[in-house]
This record gives sequence, structure tokens and C-alpha cells, in this order.
Amino acid sequence: MSGSSKKGFTLQQKHGLTGWVFLTPAVLLICWTSFYPMIQAFILSLKTGMGVNLSFSGFSNYARILKDPTFKQTLFNTFFYLIIQVPIMLVLALILASLLNNKQLRFKGLFRTCIFLPCATSLVSYAMIFRSLFANDGFVNTVLRGFGMNPVMWFANAWTARAVIIIALIWRWTGYNMVFYLSGLQNIEYSVYEAARIDGASPMQTFFKITVPLLKPTILLTTITSTNGTLQLFDESLNLTNGGPGKSTMTMSHYIYNTSFVQSPNFGYAAAMSIIILILVAILAILQMKVGDER
Amino acid sequence: MKRKIISALLALTMVISMTACGGGSGADSNSGDTAADAGAGDAAADAGSADAAADTGSGAEEAAPVEGGSADENTLTVWTWDPNFNIYAIQKAAEIYAQDHEGFKVEVSEVQSDDIETRITTAVAAGDLSTLPDIFLMQDNSFQKYATNYPDVFTELTSVGIDFSQFSAAKVAYSTLDGKNYGIPFDNGAVINCMRTDYLEQAGYTIDDFTDITWSDYMEKAKVVLEKTGQPILTSQAGSPDLIMMMLQSCGSSLFKEDGSVNIDGNAELKQIMEIYVQMVKDGTLVEVTDWDQYIASLNNGTTVSALNGCWIMASVTVAEDQSGKWAITNMPKLDGASNATNYSNNGGSSWAISSNCQKVDLAVDFMNSTFAGSNALYDDVISKGALATWAPAGESEAYNQPVEFFGNDAIYAKIVEFATHTPSNITGAFYYDARDAVGVAVSNICQQGADIDSEIKTAQETVEFNMGG
Repeated sequence: MSGSSKKGFTLQQKHGLTGWVFLTPAVLLICWTSFYPMIQAFILSLKTGMGVNLSFSGFSNYARILKDPTFKQTLFNTFFYLIIQVPIMLVLALILASLLNNKQLRFKGLFRTCIFLPCATSLVSYAMIFRSLFANDGFVNTVLRGFGMNPVMWFANAWTARAVIIIALIWRWTGYNMVFYLSGLQNIEYSVYEAARIDGASPMQTFFKITVPLLKPTILLTTITSTNGTLQLFDESLNLTNGGPGKSTMTMSHYIYNTSFVQSPNFGYAAAMSIIILILVAILAILQMKVGDER
Repeated sequence: MKRKIISALLALTMVISMTACGGGSGADSNSGDTAADAGAGDAAADAGSADAAADTGSGAEEAAPVEGGSADENTLTVWTWDPNFNIYAIQKAAEIYAQDHEGFKVEVSEVQSDDIETRITTAVAAGDLSTLPDIFLMQDNSFQKYATNYPDVFTELTSVGIDFSQFSAAKVAYSTLDGKNYGIPFDNGAVINCMRTDYLEQAGYTIDDFTDITWSDYMEKAKVVLEKTGQPILTSQAGSPDLIMMMLQSCGSSLFKEDGSVNIDGNAELKQIMEIYVQMVKDGTLVEVTDWDQYIASLNNGTTVSALNGCWIMASVTVAEDQSGKWAITNMPKLDGASNATNYSNNGGSSWAISSNCQKVDLAVDFMNSTFAGSNALYDDVISKGALATWAPAGESEAYNQPVEFFGNDAIYAKIVEFATHTPSNITGAFYYDARDAVGVAVSNICQQGADIDSEIKTAQETVEFNMGG
């Protein structure tokens, strides 16, 4: 390519160009499969009507969101999951990862596999299994009775139902995040720990003064992906509780799905709500990057 | 270098989050797949898809359904959902039709009713109807929603030679919009009260004590039954308004008025019905279970005295063969004091539709006309599966008068056909599921969270009006 050009490229330009050539297919694919639908979704969000009888109506769908009590309820539910579940999960994952990073530990591979395994299960099937575990005469209540405690009607109360969703999410995703931390930990020189030990640092001190700061980029990554994932939570809400009791465990994505497929279809409104989720995710990601990145 | 890694990670994160968002905002296309995955879960979770739910036993993931028409001139593709019920029926129909039409075949794909609806919605949204099969089955409760929003999906059947007057008028009304017929009625969802006679005996009752009674009488007897047998008279899926909808239709009332406006707030019958439901939950005579599987389990393992549901529930009741002879069928209680109250109602039921993608409309219509709208042999056969005809001539057949051993040698089919003729019609409309869901949420909040009945009814009314306003 450079030969045919009159002036020719410098070496640096050539390298840059090669990079772009490699990037182009991926960029085009992303534009076509992600950005194009996103733009279409945005255009759709400016239309109202039922089914295919749509007409442009400006930002009326966005104004409608502000007046929708169900959307507010689902927004609350989703943020509740986010605020409770993500920190618990990440702390657990970090603790497990540092335990499993111990060089003296035997059967490390086995433990790692066991903890990662939940993540390989299908979202729908694990949600259904949790539903039967927490059913009125399910396994959990049988165990509670065995200990002489009163059984809990898990799905009959808003707070216990939300608790079940959070427990399920922690079970499903802790191992996934642990793997990120493990790989992050492998990148930390073992000699750093040795030096710390020689200097008389306690395990707690090593954890907070060495592990956490050096893992910061990974922690930031997992926080952003978990936040993102939780804001788009769908399968658990649909399959585990079906949003119930009432709408007290329904997530935003579940409501969007209902608006499109369960209720009389209102795609414009559903698209508008999706755009709102996009904006929320973007804002949270930017905030987290600002807080977490101290360059 | 470290800085580069960090920035690469961040860039990656942004890309991931954005692609993922793209999926989220394109909810229409993306959720389609998820819904297909959720097949069995959906069916179980939403008892509104009543017929589908009757078959949760075969919850296994089915093979990918055949999309579009068949290349073969003599083959029709069909989407329907229950191997023991409607799949059996359409295959039997094809067998009967093939006797006079050499080489005729149907290619049936098992697709849950929710998934059929999702697929239709997705196909229309994508503007590509070529994925639709020649024939599909649709829940009666959904028919108006699809006929209103997506009339292009259907082949209009008003003047293709099918004699709709031979079906019950109330049934045909589900698949008729603005005087145009879009569906061929299939099964009947007449409500039956299936009761365990051995439990009733323990409580000192017979099935006659529960025939032609009112709800207040029923509630008193239910308390006696609970006391004597320790079992609740009814079980119900928490959050599902099935029972309430059946009770509402039994007095000819609907969640919508004739003019299509919402009829929840100020609907005296609805409030009375919700009070009965809540009271029975308090009395312990109605136990709410978490999901459909547990509902079916309660029928089969003897932890409830009766099943009050559409007649398709028989398929699930008769699974417990050891209980043969211990069940009997009667009509449902009627609401006290309501002027149009009856002992009869409907839940579920479905109709066949010929899609607009069908290239062999003549064949499809002739097939339907010679079977579901014209074959006694077909209906006599499928009755063994609990598929009750809504085609009048079939009801006069001998097969309907045969005693059934499982239900104490009663001629239950003739009985159910009789029930069906008394059933008042209801108004569904395009927003039926919005209204149904809102009522379900209200009942759930009242029963489980102790919310106030009047304010919940008001909220339900507002929710539906909000949905209609968009």
C-alpha cells in the first residue's frame, strides 16, 4: 500500500495503518450489530402506537416514563438489587480469590472449578431450581423445619422474594468475578508478599495494603460489568419470581419485555425505557471510572 | 505499560457495556430468544396460557420449530403446543383428511403458546412474515390483541366457505373482529369443578351438595371440609388471577365495558369476588402455591380437595391413576346477589388461525373445513384427550355420552358440553392481558401484603388506563 503512494508512509504511520486494518472488521461488525440497532431503537422510542401502527410523537414516551408508577417501582427494585448485591458479591469474590491464591493450598483446581461452576449453568434453569428450592414446601423450608424454625413463605413477601433473588444472583455470579480477581492476583509478584511478610505485615495488612491497591483495575472492571449486568437483570425476575408478589421484584428489563410481549405491544414506550437504562448505565460507568481511576 | 493495560480494559468495558446495552435497547429482537429459552418457565409461570400450562410435564426444550411454509404441495406446517392435546388433535385431523387426499401431511412443531405469540410479534416487528407457519393455534384470550394490532398476520376466513354458525356464538366471537372471522374455533374451556369424592365423604358431603350452589354456601362447606379432612378445598397459583377471571365471567361481567373502557374500579362484582378470594385465603380454605407445577402437584398428591378450572385440567387430574373413581365433576358456585350470575364460566380454550404467509390457503381451508369444522370422527377421537368440541354437531355424538370410569362412571363429556352452552360471554379486547395482570397484582398485594382492597382496585384501574393511554 505504501509503495503505490507518492510520498510513502513513515514507519509509525504504517504501523498505525496496519492496526486500523485489523480493527476495521470488528468495528464494522459492532456498528452494524450494535450501533445501528441502537439508533433504530432511539428512532422507535420517538414513536407511539400499538403493534405496528406507529406514528412519530416526539419525546412523549420519555414524558410518559416520568408519570409511570410501575417504571418507578421497577427502577427502585433494580437499584435495590444493585446496591445490596454487587458489593456483597464482589467482596465475597475477592475473599475467595485471595484464599484460593494461596500457594500452599491443596486441590486448588477443584475448589476453583466448584466455585466457578454455577456460572456455567443456564440462567433459566438455575432460576427455576432456586424457585423450587425456596418454594413453600421446598428444600430450604424443609431444612428450616428440621432446625425447629418456622418455614418462610419466601415468595409471598416482597422483601423475602427480593432476598431470594439476591441470594440467587450471588450464587450465580460470585465465581465469575472471582476468576477475574484470580487472574489479577497472578499478575502480582509473589516477592512483594514475601517482602511484606519479612517486614512483619499481618495477613490483613497485606490484603488491604497490597492486594486491594494492586487489583484496583480489575476491581473497577468487575464493578462496571456487574453494575451493567444488574441494571439489565431479566431472567431471574421473569423465571424466579415472575416479578411477584405484585410487581415488587420486577426489574426494568422485565417491565420492558412485558410492555412489548405480554401486554398489548407498545414498542415505542419499551424502546424509550431501554434508552433510559442505557443512559443510567453510562452515567454509573462514568462515575465509577472517575472514582476508581486516580491517574 | 500498566497504563495501557488499564485503558485497554476500560475501553473493553465500555464496548462490552455498550454492546450489551444495544442488546437491551433492541429488546424486541433480543428478548425473543430469551423468551424461547424460557419456554417451559413461561408456561409454568403464566397460567393465562392455560392449555400450555396443562402440559408442563414435558417441559423439555423442543427442537427448533419449522419456520415458514413447506416446499411440498401437500404439506402444511403447524405451530401448536401440547403433545397430548392439540398436537394429537391436528395429527389426527391430518390422518382423517389424508384418507380422501392422498399424500396430505402436516408438519407440526411444538411451540409453547407464549412463544407463538412472541414469534408473531417479533416477525411483525421485523416486517418479515415469511417465518410464520401455514397454521397456528392461538389462545382465545389473546386473539383480540393480535387481531387488533396485527390483522396482517391472519388470512381472513369470513367468506371462504366455513360455516361458523355451527360453532357456539360466544366461542366464534373470540376470533372475530369488526365482523371478520380470523379463526376456526377448536377446544372448549368450560369451567368444571373437579372434586375428590373420598374427601367429601369424610366431611359428610356428596358431590350434589356442591352442585348449583352459591359462593357463600361453598365457603361455609369449605370450612367444614377443612376441619374434617385437614385439606383446603382449593389451591391457586399465587399472583395468578385465573380463579377471579372465571368467577367474573360466570356472572357475565368483564374487565372492560362494551365501549372498550376499563371496568375495574366501580365493578361491584369484581370487588365482591376479590373479597371472597381474600376471605378464603384467610380461612385457609384456599391455599396459594408458588407456581403451576405445585398447583398440579397439589391435585395429584391429595393436598387439595378440588380443582376449579377449565375442563382441560382433566388431562392433569387423570394423570394420578390411583385416584380413579375418586373424582367427580360438577358446576362451579355462583355469585350471591349478582343479577346475571350463573354456575358456568370459561377458562382457556383456543382457535386455529391460517397465517397470511400461507401459500396454500385453499388446501388449508379445505383441510380445516373437512376436519375441525366438519368431522364427527375427529371430535369423537380427540375427546379421549379432553378436547371438547365447540362444533355443535359433535356434541350430539355417541362418544359424548359414554361414562368415564375415572370420574365415577359419570357421562362427564355430555355434562361439560351442557355447561358450555350456559356460559356467559366476556369482553376481552386488545388490552385483556394488561387488565388481567393489573388485577393479579392487586390480589397479590391484598392477600400477601395486606393492602387495602379499594385502593388496590383503584391502582389497577389506573395502571390499565395508563397502558391504554400510550
